[in-house]
Amino acid sequence: MIELRELEVRYGKRRVLHGINLTLKRGESLSIVGESGGGKTTLGLSIIGLVEGTVRGEILFDGKNLVALAEKELKEIRWNRIAMVFQNVENALNPLYTVLDQVSEPIVAHKLGDRNEAKRRAGELLSMVNLPEGRFYAYPHQLSGGEKQRVLIAMALANDPDLIILDEPTTALDALTKVEIINLILTVCKERELTILLLTHDFYAASTLSDRMAVLYAGRIVEFGPTPALLSNPRHPYTRGLLRCYPSMTTTKDLQGIKGRMEFFDDGCPFHPRCTQSIEKCREGAPRLEEYDGRLIACHRGGIIPLLELRDLSKSFDSLKAVDSIDMTLYEGETLALVGESGSGKTTTAKLIMGIFEATEGRIYLERKQILGRDKSFYQRVQMIFQNPMEALCHLFSVREAVREPLDIQKQGNREQRESKVQHILEEVELPSSETFMNKYPHQLSQGEAQRVSIARALVLNPKLLIADEPTSALDASTQAKVVKLLLNLQEKRGIGMFFITHNLALARKISDRLAVMLRGTIVEEGPSSEIISNPLHPYTKDLLKAAPTLNSNVPIVPKTTSKKNEGLGCPYANRCDKAIEVCFNEKPQLRIFDSHRVACMNL
Amino acid sequence: MKIPEIGTYAISFLIILALIFLLPRLMPGDPLTAICGEEVLVVMTPELKAELMHRFALDAPLWKQFFVYLTAMMHGDFGYSYYYNAPVLEVIFEALPWTLLLVGSSLVLSTVLSIIIGIESGWRRGKITDKFLLTTTMILNGFPNFFIGIILLLLFAVYLGCLPLQGAKTPYSGLSGINSMLDIAQHLVLPLIALTLAQIPGSYLLMRNTMITTLKEPFVRTAKAKGLSEVAVRYKHAGRNAMLPIVTTTGVRVGTVVTGALFIEIIFSYPGVGLLSYNALLMRDYPILQGVFFIVAVFVILANFVVDLLYTKIDPRIGVNNAEYAH
Amino acid sequence: MHINYWNELTRNNFGKLGLAMLCFVLFIALFAPFLARYDPGEPSHAIFMQPSFEHWLGTNDIGQDIWSRLICGAKNTLLVALGVGVFTTLLSTVIGASAALVGGLCDRILMRLIDALIVIPAFIVIILVAAYVLPNVWTLIFLISILTWQGGARLVRAQTLSLKERMSVYAARTFGANKLYIIVRHIIPNLSPILFAVFIHSATRGVFMEAGLAFLGIADISTVSWGLMMHHALRFYYLDVWKWWLIPTGLALSVTIMALVFIGHAFETAMDPRLRVVEQEDWQ
Repeated sequence: MIELRELEVRYGKRRVLHGINLTLKRGESLSIVGESGGGKTTLGLSIIGLVEGTVRGEILFDGKNLVALAEKELKEIRWNRIAMVFQNVENALNPLYTVLDQVSEPIVAHKLGDRNEAKRRAGELLSMVNLPEGRFYAYPHQLSGGEKQRVLIAMALANDPDLIILDEPTTALDALTKVEIINLILTVCKERELTILLLTHDFYAASTLSDRMAVLYAGRIVEFGPTPALLSNPRHPYTRGLLRCYPSMTTTKDLQGIKGRMEFFDDGCPFHPRCTQSIEKCREGAPRLEEYDGRLIACHRGGIIPLLELRDLSKSFDSLKAVDSIDMTLYEGETLALVGESGSGKTTTAKLIMGIFEATEGRIYLERKQILGRDKSFYQRVQMIFQNPMEALCHLFSVREAVREPLDIQKQGNREQRESKVQHILEEVELPSSETFMNKYPHQLSQGEAQRVSIARALVLNPKLLIADEPTSALDASTQAKVVKLLLNLQEKRGIGMFFITHNLALARKISDRLAVMLRGTIVEEGPSSEIISNPLHPYTKDLLKAAPTLNSNVPIVPKTTSKKNEGLGCPYANRCDKAIEVCFNEKPQLRIFDSHRVACMNL
Repeated sequence: MKIPEIGTYAISFLIILALIFLLPRLMPGDPLTAICGEEVLVVMTPELKAELMHRFALDAPLWKQFFVYLTAMMHGDFGYSYYYNAPVLEVIFEALPWTLLLVGSSLVLSTVLSIIIGIESGWRRGKITDKFLLTTTMILNGFPNFFIGIILLLLFAVYLGCLPLQGAKTPYSGLSGINSMLDIAQHLVLPLIALTLAQIPGSYLLMRNTMITTLKEPFVRTAKAKGLSEVAVRYKHAGRNAMLPIVTTTGVRVGTVVTGALFIEIIFSYPGVGLLSYNALLMRDYPILQGVFFIVAVFVILANFVVDLLYTKIDPRIGVNNAEYAH
Repeated sequence: MHINYWNELTRNNFGKLGLAMLCFVLFIALFAPFLARYDPGEPSHAIFMQPSFEHWLGTNDIGQDIWSRLICGAKNTLLVALGVGVFTTLLSTVIGASAALVGGLCDRILMRLIDALIVIPAFIVIILVAAYVLPNVWTLIFLISILTWQGGARLVRAQTLSLKERMSVYAARTFGANKLYIIVRHIIPNLSPILFAVFIHSATRGVFMEAGLAFLGIADISTVSWGLMMHHALRFYYLDVWKWWLIPTGLALSVTIMALVFIGHAFETAMDPRLRVVEQEDWQ
């Protein structure tokens, strides 16, 4: 129905839209999401020919190029074929006319009926959008936000268009009104078989109102694909960043921002200054929107890269299989929490990655390259924070020496450069960089300070991947909160991929993007944290969730360990699972995909 | 801690055997005198020399000599003392009971005393009793055992004259029965005290330290909370746990007591193997020296082995049966 | 814990006293030529003289001045202490640390050897060997060291093993540190307190063994040794000479050993944090 080809819009020298290619078939719905100022409204306005800048490229509407069309012909299409629900800002409606007047206006203007006919139809439309009859003759300032939005919708529908462009239809509405409006739009569109182009930064509206979604950043589409897939598995760093900022009821992780602010660039990927995985190439040329695994992504690196991949990783100590062929992927800039009871093999996994233990079997990939040996450059990219900061700091080293140690080992820079790096990193982890503090020895530090020093020395090499082995379990609650916040801030700033090992599910859900549950050396369930928390599938995860701390007085009932001995042949949870059947004891369940989870359970 | 390994003790035993075998044979000079002692020169005749050369296979290669030496050992032949004009074993067995009496009683006495004062001192740490005991033993620790012996000898036997000066019993006294026992006890007092005093500081300090650290264990607080009497807490709970290191070091202490006895016997002319070896040393009577060395070393090794064996029974945390609970 | 051992040592009363006593003996040994009034080996005086202004501690059975011999004996004792201390510590460190660092078969063999040697009473072995060798001071130092390193080696090995497993060493490894760096920057500095303890312990044992051997008459008769003096003096216990011959010599020896024992005790107390607190309560 409508197709945009290499659409480009300039305001003077400033290019606001860049090479936009989009197709929208009749009856389809498409959402364009992105931060304000990204060019969403410009895109909408350019379609109805109201944009003030210079438009290049083609906008094909039923085969006609709207860009080349004369104003007169454009007028015919405008509102008759393509209507727009403008953003409900102050004075989107003229304050001097009643709403009925304003809704009937396009009918009259396009000579679809006389004044009375128009008013009657406008009345029908307003009734349809559930505006109470008594409010028809009200002036805009007398209406609530929701009512004004209804009026705007009614007005857009006045000439019975085929395509409706909704610009932030749900912004500035309270929660219940928002739902009403969304329902209204859904019903109306269904009745009238409308094609929807939704321009919004509200993921809730986008997820309910659109089948497909395009993410717009600084005038370019950076990711394009089916809405549910895009939301559950964002592949462009910007999309993920946006989703991390968006508070929803299924979000479990603390909100994180995107560093920096939006700027328009003529060359280079527009997102590269804010991107945490940008490389030299990203500065040079803008990436084209290309297909990677069924998703269109404009990224030189093919979207968020897998930072760390563990494939069939195993470690045996004599006859004990501490880690039993686990399979995990940690993407750039995300937190993967590995949750499990003590002795489940979490720390062994960490040590396998760090090369403290040699793996018995399996492969580890870092940034898609298999790790065969670990040299100094490996440890520049991968760092670890240990559980007990007091133990991890050698008691003979002062704070200065401890933080400088990685630089000394890596022989980075001269003495002054190292010193200034140490000062800088101490400030970054919110520690004093005074002489007095730097000359302190570990036993003169508090637990929290010691852990910050540990974090500082892990970060001083500027790693891409941080392995945090129970970094807060030795700390008291208030210190834990501060350290966790610090880690999240550092992740936002530096885009560090974090492999967070913990036994505390309640903590894991607050910090992780994805969660893997480990039991006796195997992964039993893995998926996006929000999904795992809201919809756990494996019985062990369910029991862990039941046992996770709450502040009400109900004590959950978790299954007792049965006397039946678990030989380790079957499911690691078999002897504790209340749904265990014979086969659970004898056959090891493999990880299988259910929605966005991977679960290893025989009973699913 | 580990299960005692016979292999280790076998190695110790082999080292002892090799040492006795190699020392006289590798020394510069005549190996015959190095093996038989200088006293052999007095009775040396060409025939005897030939016989001895043959007996020890001294003209054969070293490995063959070792074989001959081992065979002799296995037949209980430890050589012949030309000074005493008797087989070595006979001479040693005459002296051995006295040493065993001295060493055994001192070992028991010093262990019991160290445990008691260690427990009491640790319990009262920082108090005046503890300070006194600690200071006294630390000073005592500075005195070499032979000097302690000398002081006791000079003070009680020479200066005060209240206890016998030397020997293990009054010679030619014709005492019997209870009187003989008393006589022996009287002669034993000074050497025993000297040896025990020299032994106490090490064990006491170990006992006190473990007592202090044991008292910080949670189970001591549990015991107190249960309302047990102070003595029960001190001995039954803290004390018994604190005793474990003392027990494990018993084997090593046997070694030091035996060494100490050597000096004490010399000072008090107590007719044990110590005095015997001292005289052998002066007379260059090497067969005796080797024999004593062998017997003492084997005795100490055995003591260590037995302690190792017993220890697994004393501490329930150690032992074969526990292995499967480890995981 | 980061511990300033020197402070801990001087805060402990035993430590203070031990250091003072050791300095005293050291002073005597260093200034022996000025303190001794006669040549200690010169038998040119009347025998068994009572203490007098000329001969503060009288003379011995062959007419040597006892005071001069006593003063000169300090050098011998301290030399043995230092020699055995250094040499034994060196052996213990090299063997213990290499067993722990190399690991594997090497560790198993060395450990078995150490276990086997530990149950053999070292002093008895030394007496036997010395009876054949008739050592001078240097061979004695060597002998004592190669027969007594095993205890220290076991300690050093255990400590090195635990250091190797320390989180801070793992942390250094995760910064890309190689083995050499870890040994130089982490293992050795952290090992030094243990090495000092082994040193003091070996030195104490060295002094005691040298004196003991000399007391048994196993010594080079030309050396001026306290143990040898006591060996000679004991033969005349029935005379009154023991009051100024035997007892002062024994006391000099005891003071030296005591100094080392006190320092060792104070140092070990400082090393064990559980005892440290207690001792501070005790002795302040």
